[in-house]
Amino acid sequence: MASAAIRRGAREVKPILSLDLDESRKRVLNLYKAWFRQLPYIVKQYDIPMNIEQCRSVLRQQFTNMIAYQDVRLMDMMVIKSQMELKEIVNMWKQKGHVMAYFAKDTVEPKPKDFLSKFLSGKD
Amino acid sequence: MARYFGLDRIFTFLNTIKEAGGIRASLYKLYRMDNLRPGQLVGTDKYGNKYYQNPSYFYGRNRWIEYAPYYGMEYDGSQVPAEWYGWLHYKTDLTPDQDPSRPKYKWMLDHTENLSGTPGQYMPYSTTRPKIEPWIPGRK
Amino acid sequence: MMRITFAKVLQGAKISPKHLLIASRNQSGEVKKPEKIEVFIDNKSVMVEPGTTVLQAAAMVGVEIPRFCYHERLAVAGNCRMCLVEVEKSPKPVAACAMPVMKGWHIKTDSEMTKKAREGIMEFLLVNHPLDCPICDQGGECDLQDQSMAFGSDRSRFTDNDFSGKRAVEDKDIGPLIKTIMTRCIHCTRCIRFASEIAGVDDLGTTGRGNDMQVGTYIEKMFMSELSGNVIDLCPVGALTSKPYSFTARPWEIRKVDSIDVLDAVGSNIVVSTRTGEVMRIMPRVNEEINEEWLADKSRFSYDGLKRQRLVTPMIRDNKGELKPVDWEAALLTVAKVVKNAGSKIGAVAGGFADAEQLIAVKDLLNTLGSEALCTEHTFPLDGSGTDLRSSYLLNNRIAGAEEADVVLLVGTNPRFEAPLLNARLRKGWVHNELEVASIGPKVDLTYDHDHLGDDPQVLQQLINGQHEFSKKLRSAKKPLIIVGSETLERSDGAAILSAVQTLAASTSVENKDWKVLNVLHKIASQVAALDIGYTPGVDKIREGNLKVLFLLGADDGAIEKSDLPPDCFVIYQGHHGDHGASIADAILPGAAYTEKQATYVNTEGRAQQTLVAVSPPGRAREDWKIIRALSEIVGAKLPYDKLNEIRDRLEEVAPHLTRYGSAEGANYFKQAEQLAKKSKSQLDCTPIDVKVKELQDYFMTDSISRASPTMAKCVQAVLKQKQSKYCD
Repeated sequence: MASAAIRRGAREVKPILSLDLDESRKRVLNLYKAWFRQLPYIVKQYDIPMNIEQCRSVLRQQFTNMIAYQDVRLMDMMVIKSQMELKEIVNMWKQKGHVMAYFAKDTVEPKPKDFLSKFLSGKD
Repeated sequence: MARYFGLDRIFTFLNTIKEAGGIRASLYKLYRMDNLRPGQLVGTDKYGNKYYQNPSYFYGRNRWIEYAPYYGMEYDGSQVPAEWYGWLHYKTDLTPDQDPSRPKYKWMLDHTENLSGTPGQYMPYSTTRPKIEPWIPGRK
Repeated sequence: MMRITFAKVLQGAKISPKHLLIASRNQSGEVKKPEKIEVFIDNKSVMVEPGTTVLQAAAMVGVEIPRFCYHERLAVAGNCRMCLVEVEKSPKPVAACAMPVMKGWHIKTDSEMTKKAREGIMEFLLVNHPLDCPICDQGGECDLQDQSMAFGSDRSRFTDNDFSGKRAVEDKDIGPLIKTIMTRCIHCTRCIRFASEIAGVDDLGTTGRGNDMQVGTYIEKMFMSELSGNVIDLCPVGALTSKPYSFTARPWEIRKVDSIDVLDAVGSNIVVSTRTGEVMRIMPRVNEEINEEWLADKSRFSYDGLKRQRLVTPMIRDNKGELKPVDWEAALLTVAKVVKNAGSKIGAVAGGFADAEQLIAVKDLLNTLGSEALCTEHTFPLDGSGTDLRSSYLLNNRIAGAEEADVVLLVGTNPRFEAPLLNARLRKGWVHNELEVASIGPKVDLTYDHDHLGDDPQVLQQLINGQHEFSKKLRSAKKPLIIVGSETLERSDGAAILSAVQTLAASTSVENKDWKVLNVLHKIASQVAALDIGYTPGVDKIREGNLKVLFLLGADDGAIEKSDLPPDCFVIYQGHHGDHGASIADAILPGAAYTEKQATYVNTEGRAQQTLVAVSPPGRAREDWKIIRALSEIVGAKLPYDKLNEIRDRLEEVAPHLTRYGSAEGANYFKQAEQLAKKSKSQLDCTPIDVKVKELQDYFMTDSISRASPTMAKCVQAVLKQKQSKYCD
């Protein structure tokens, strides 16, 4: 059984875009550049209350969040999706709220855990 | 002659300032209404608003209101009483005092301006009985 | 109602050994048990005792026979004829509820003849019953509705040929609790039998015959009973419905929560019906040990008091001397600051609705702060053994035991209004068991005949010495009971009375060791739990303590006044109603009422029971023990329990019986208690023994919930009005 699973895991797969890690890495960098250059236009066109510095840090954050994924096919797929989003932004298919969603933090307040805060909030 | 030299405009300008009550008053009026124009006083309503017209302006801009001074900058369209509304909006050419067909009854309510955003505004309230009546200290 | 009845009958069949046990205890070897006879129900054989009715025999094999007038706790009337069944070789169908079975009978409950009989009866009933189910309050829980679906004909032959209409009967006004729509009455006479047999108020009866028969009071008057609400449950149709509940909810849109009543110390089992977060009504739940299937009016109808005068937000008295709403954080911080500054000069008074969890939490908090000033509002003699031996403050022989007694002595109590369901038991014994009752105290109407021995406490001494004529009866009785009202023990000579009663109880000759003569009847729901946990009865400690902070745990009976306390004493009221206690408080912490919390209460017989959450506490009110727990954390003496289970573990540590729900923990050491009591120097007074609640109008408004209830206020008015009537006796 186990050997079958390994065989299946190590099986040759069809590439999505890139043939090796170097190529997919290039694609990621290209994508990053494209986003980076678009940022001033996004701030202007969407009239968002953010400056370019903030946008850059969010962009960087978005990319570094994915640094753990080093699979070629996975990276390709994420690049494709991100490109789609970029296109939506460039063509003004998105609206201000969609763009601001990149900056949004989690708005759900954490549930109270200890007795006193449970008591004060009236939640059990 | 004067017209030829464009002096009439100066006369009009000076006249307008004179009608407004001097330079200082003109500047205040300009600040308050963004506009300063000569006109003929047609009437005054009971709240002190003054109604002007000047046929030399084109239709749609030749009737206007100067709100009573005590409104200050806090004037708005709802302060025009109903009887003047028609004249101001070209529904009629007759001012209220000239219109014989305008009924006046004792039971007619006084005009009130729109009180939204002030303490006097209407607040909808629930008419359902509250499920729990709280205890109010000092009341049996 | 029908469903309950059937279920009960079936249950009765299942637990028949228990019934037999009671039967054998009653007869105790006097007569030999007669042999059982065999009958056949739908060809199923069943062995029954002679005298069993057909209906009971059928119930034993799980066959339910429809009925309207029959009720197992009432006398058999046999007038509705719904229970007709065919008996083989009998030319006519027989009424199953009234006919005792004979040996070898073949009873057919499903034959053509039976069906035809049922359909015929149902048709007759419906000829004069209005078809107003859509506007009838009984709709959805109506026996007539259910049984006409199950046993009625599928078509009607009723045609109003001459357009004379159905029979119409004028509605009666029998008080602010019961609404009557007499046109709907099917003359089952259950209400009449209940009034005369169980309530002991012969107010209801019939006038006229046949089609002109009417159920009513003859002259218009109020149904003056403290158990009147039960006729609403008994009525199989919508003729008698609840006035406060009328047109408010339907049975299928209601959520039902099993709970416990706390308006008296009996601890009746109740079902709280709620809808949209509101208590819609309260009904009794069957518990043979406590309330059977009855419920007292105050418990049943004072639920509208739970919606008025409520404390919904914490309040603090500001520097102008006015109570102002604040949020919990501010309230707890203020209170905690005061509590910290007070050191050990801090006390607590537990009122009538305090639950065991709250009591233990307050006790733990105050003990950690170094205070022992924990008191109950109602006092109890502390001489002799005091409250150390449970036997001296419990209704030791249980409520159900009261009906087996043969002689009962009531000392300074009016059970009719202090514990209506105990009184119903006593009346049951008086009716069926030739119980003899005597009372010392004011002369009151107990709904049954009793010897009034006067209101002089010295009568007790005479009884002990054997000088009194009643003492002979008491001594010769096999199952005597002495029931002492807790109110009498609050007198200055309470210790002497308790001692006298203990001596008297010891002087009786009881063979059965399980039979306990001495019984104390409490009036408030929290007292037994408070004494079990270790509260000191009476507020003397508070008066003398020179306290800086006082907790009032729902103490509204006015045992403590502002003038009893030092002027700088900070009073914290924790409770659910704005009443006496809240008005003298400097800080108010809103708690939950008994329908809003899962809490433990111990009734007067020492039976721990728990209420369940039916609705959530209103506004910012919280469960009571949680308030204390939160406060303890802010004070810096954190109590070691966060969850209900954890505080119940703590309860179990203190007194294990407090978490054994449903079972009454017995008490012993009567002899020791008596001997200890003899050491007390207290002497019997000469002031006459008195009770507060003597008449029906005093009964309705006795605590903060019922005082807030408009229905109860109406009841008082109605009774006072009725008393002025020239027809009132």
